[in-house]
Amino acid sequence: MKDISTSILKIDNEEKANGSAIYVSDITIPGMYYAKTIRSTISKGNIKKITLPEMPENYTIVDYKDIPGKNVVKIIFEDQLIFAEDKVTYYGEPIFLIVGPDKIVITELEKQINIEYEEETPEFEYVNSAVHYNFKKGDAKSAFENADKIIEYEYITGYQEQLYIEPQGIVVDIDKNGKVTLTGSLQCPYYVKNAVLQALDAKDSEVRVIQAVVGGAFGGKEEFPSLTTTQLAVAAKKIGKPIKMIYEREEDMEVTTKRHPSKIYMEAAISKDSEILGFRSNVAIDAGANIGLSGVVLSRALIACTGVYTISNLEVKGDVFLTNTVPNGAYRGFGAPQMLFAVEMFMHHIAKEINVDPLELRLKYLAKQGDLTSTQGTFNDPIIMNEMVDKAMEISDYKQKKIDFAKEGVHKGIGMSWFLHGCGFTGSGESTHINALVKLRKDKENKVHILIAAVDMGQGIRTTMKKIVSKILDIPMDQTIYNLPDTDFVPDSGPTVASRTIMIVGGLVARAAKQLKEKWVDKEDITVSERYKQPEYIKWDEENFVGDAYPAYSWGVNIVEVEVCPVTFQVTLKHVWSVYDIGKAIDERIVMGQADGGIMQGIGYGYLEVMNCVDGKIAQKNVTDYIIPTSVDTPAMETVLMDNPYPLGPYGAKGAGELTLVGGAPAVALAIEEAIGNKVFNIPVTPEYIMELIKNGKN
Amino acid sequence: MAKIRFKLNNKMIEIDENPNLRLLDVLRDKFGFTGVKEGCGEGECGACAILINNDVVNSCIVPLGNVNGKEIMTIEGFSLSEKFDVISSSFAEEGAVQCGICTPGMIIASESLLNKNPKPTDEEIRIGLSGNLCRCTGYNAIVKAVTKASKKGDGLW
Amino acid sequence: MVKNIIPTSLNEALELLNDRPFKIMAGGTDLMVQRRAWSQTPPEFIEDVLYIFNLEELKYIKEDKGFIVIGSTTPVEDLLHNDLTPFLLKEAIGIMASPALRHMATIAGNIGNASPAGDTLPILYVLDAIIVLESIEGIRELPINEVITGPRKHVIKQNEIIKEIKIPISVYTDSVFEKVGGRKADAISKLSFTGAVNIKDDKVLDFRIAFGAVSATILRRKEIEEKYVGLTKEELIGKVDEIVNEYDPFIRPIDDQRSNKEYRKTVALNLLKNFIITL
Repeated sequence: MKDISTSILKIDNEEKANGSAIYVSDITIPGMYYAKTIRSTISKGNIKKITLPEMPENYTIVDYKDIPGKNVVKIIFEDQLIFAEDKVTYYGEPIFLIVGPDKIVITELEKQINIEYEEETPEFEYVNSAVHYNFKKGDAKSAFENADKIIEYEYITGYQEQLYIEPQGIVVDIDKNGKVTLTGSLQCPYYVKNAVLQALDAKDSEVRVIQAVVGGAFGGKEEFPSLTTTQLAVAAKKIGKPIKMIYEREEDMEVTTKRHPSKIYMEAAISKDSEILGFRSNVAIDAGANIGLSGVVLSRALIACTGVYTISNLEVKGDVFLTNTVPNGAYRGFGAPQMLFAVEMFMHHIAKEINVDPLELRLKYLAKQGDLTSTQGTFNDPIIMNEMVDKAMEISDYKQKKIDFAKEGVHKGIGMSWFLHGCGFTGSGESTHINALVKLRKDKENKVHILIAAVDMGQGIRTTMKKIVSKILDIPMDQTIYNLPDTDFVPDSGPTVASRTIMIVGGLVARAAKQLKEKWVDKEDITVSERYKQPEYIKWDEENFVGDAYPAYSWGVNIVEVEVCPVTFQVTLKHVWSVYDIGKAIDERIVMGQADGGIMQGIGYGYLEVMNCVDGKIAQKNVTDYIIPTSVDTPAMETVLMDNPYPLGPYGAKGAGELTLVGGAPAVALAIEEAIGNKVFNIPVTPEYIMELIKNGKN
Repeated sequence: MAKIRFKLNNKMIEIDENPNLRLLDVLRDKFGFTGVKEGCGEGECGACAILINNDVVNSCIVPLGNVNGKEIMTIEGFSLSEKFDVISSSFAEEGAVQCGICTPGMIIASESLLNKNPKPTDEEIRIGLSGNLCRCTGYNAIVKAVTKASKKGDGLW
Repeated sequence: MVKNIIPTSLNEALELLNDRPFKIMAGGTDLMVQRRAWSQTPPEFIEDVLYIFNLEELKYIKEDKGFIVIGSTTPVEDLLHNDLTPFLLKEAIGIMASPALRHMATIAGNIGNASPAGDTLPILYVLDAIIVLESIEGIRELPINEVITGPRKHVIKQNEIIKEIKIPISVYTDSVFEKVGGRKADAISKLSFTGAVNIKDDKVLDFRIAFGAVSATILRRKEIEEKYVGLTKEELIGKVDEIVNEYDPFIRPIDDQRSNKEYRKTVALNLLKNFIITL
């Protein structure tokens, strides 16, 4: 039999190509109503009075008073209200829905609504800390006391919008017994189910969640759909009708969660003989108006504070700041892109400051198997970064280009980033919060049903999971069945997030398949299940950030070549090269697709994608103003996968989804830094910023 | 209201409708062609791309009044053709389909390009697809797929 | 009651327009975005709409008495593939939006919409385009700069239609159109620069400059251009700083969600300078 990595055609190519795949906006239910969200038009204040027009028959308002259970969205930290009550804390905060059968009538009603506010002064700066974490490794205090020199810089990162091409959307149906069924564009069916159960104060059997075909998510459909589904479930309970709510693009861009803007302050203690004695870092992320997932985003950022390097003495602290702006949340990378940008730039800036070749400095501190991580855990598995770096430099002709581009009058630059990404939930999250359960059921016709809640949002999970099962059971692909998850039929295998799906869920599926193989009896109905068990050697102290923050790490090297126009300061991407260690690819072509798409999001984050909040409102709220790369902006790319199997992953596989994004920004920023000869501190590195750097920057 | 006649997926249609309606809504809601997707509603992302007289256009900014006398082809109609088979199999083989929301529009834009230029260069393909945003693939697999389709379908265009 | 009409001839359209006001819809690429309503509901027009995009009698490009004449509803993509289309206009169309947009967009739409960032407008200014307006009363011809009076403002009367655009045929030894957008395609200009010169026997016979998106309308100053006609190329290049200073006070861009004024101004002047020194 062929190697598992050998590519096969994805199972959903055809339905997606010919337009027959059913996305949420394509669903209609007879007698369906529509919902529109009425939102705060101020950043902070009290609602004094709401004046509604006379509502025609079949048109109604749904607000917090209609919620049978708790008016809060159940996610990691519960502070996002389903509907605002007497006060609002950000522009765009949902206050109520108007629901009815005709969109034109709803639009007319909306125009007649008047909400009077008592405005308060909103906070947009990093002032109100809601979460504070800090931890230490070694003895940073004496490292800094004994330092010959302290190097310090601040790095600033902006928003990033997921910009899935399919906007958020949910359809709810309700049967005569009051059971609600929510179908939507979402990553985490059980997050949604649990949120709706709490909001409705309902029994487990009264809520069902089904995934529609998802038109891109990238984290943007991790926790946000828990808000819209609870709103619609409450509405369906109130009026007893099926209801559809699809966001408009502008609405989606203004009010849904984004990547947290951040300010990262880095200090390095340098000895007389140019050794890095220690780091101090202070990370601030902007959560927007509520905490939600931000604490977890912060901890992933903090844990990544040394990137791929081993630094013996650390003092790390960080805060989640609340501001009166749109709440931020999950986005592919989850805190790591911000921190890895800062770390990679900082290593370069240190090298420049102490007159050492950056490559030498980085190689000197590159982590090795057995080294202690930033949280005093251990890199248990082999690290093959040296070979990966050599490979990346070889395929890109890095060293020669460095020399050529340094010449006078050449406006080109080449930048290289090194990075890692912890696979799965941070710390003991997999065992304490998720506790994933998977099932395989063989029916009497010997068809094997893969019963998991993992969502295919384009990353090919429906294909790769079937591939794992059919290979282990040695049966044809079409003898396996993996329908879009439906909580009435699949157990909670956890959310489709954190690069955990192949490694954790796929690992459990592989184990279940082996179990089924042993128990296989022809023409008999057999169900097997597997539940996650944390490897014994993994120890994590959540309170103090001590121990193994992740069961395994994927690693990567990105190299980006750019040219910067000296007249317009515009950046042209010339070429991108990547080398990854994701353990083992379950399907090479699928991983290559993740690689290309991931790095373009990472590079876009680094040089192109500008999103600002001006007076509490998102200024770039459509795809004309928020610029993502087109086919013309995208250069040729070359990606090499290096096998380094992880014993506990299926066939040795580790996470791949986020890894391919997190190194893009520093690679492109370093390339631009090389091209213009000025240090870069902020992303995105826009032409406007390049102009400023050339005028006033530091060499 | 106005009487509007056009050919839709090879079938003559006459409807009496508000010509201000977005063609996108007419195709999806009145004819059930939901392979035409709405991504941005302002003609920028290309998810709603269709062919009018063999040229790619974004149906979200085409008023119904502008299609009088035209030939419209959605992905549903185009998917019955041999050209579609060549393009879609090339997309599959190159891994050009991920979440799929841009895919019908990409295929329509590819068809429009190949109609005018059966042997496009890499750069011409990038320009031809520049109005179709994709957030999943980083485009390279799509560009390769169009190159492959152009070779596999030699003589079709 | 709103009454939207799809006329079958230009005459019918002119008569309707003479009768009562209409919003004229060409390709719809701007108008349909501006009037966009909730998905699945019609765009919000308070006025009656006249659909002229399919008037075949307005779709042409021809050469006539020293002019290239472009019918107002000719999609710009057609112009891109026509040998008569002036080089600079092709340059602008080639990087305008995307193929899907170019199949519907028209130059007349760019004029009627009168956005300072309209991609073809700087070219029309630089080429001294004449806009031919027709009504039931007859035809009047106006230079482009007299048609557009401010952002989204023009002098086209309620009963008039843009019939065609006349571009004088002229020769340039060097010309450039530089669009500075947020990305390489599918973008709206942060600013644009257009430059055209005709240098014969080392003498500057013609010197034209226009900037887009740096002031309320397209910026072109003929009085500055005229000062430099008659110089040798060397002399012209020698005066580059002076020329930059001449334009400086007229470049008054704004800050918005796409860029800022410092950038727009610096780059506009950089492009001017670069154009001259690389002649």
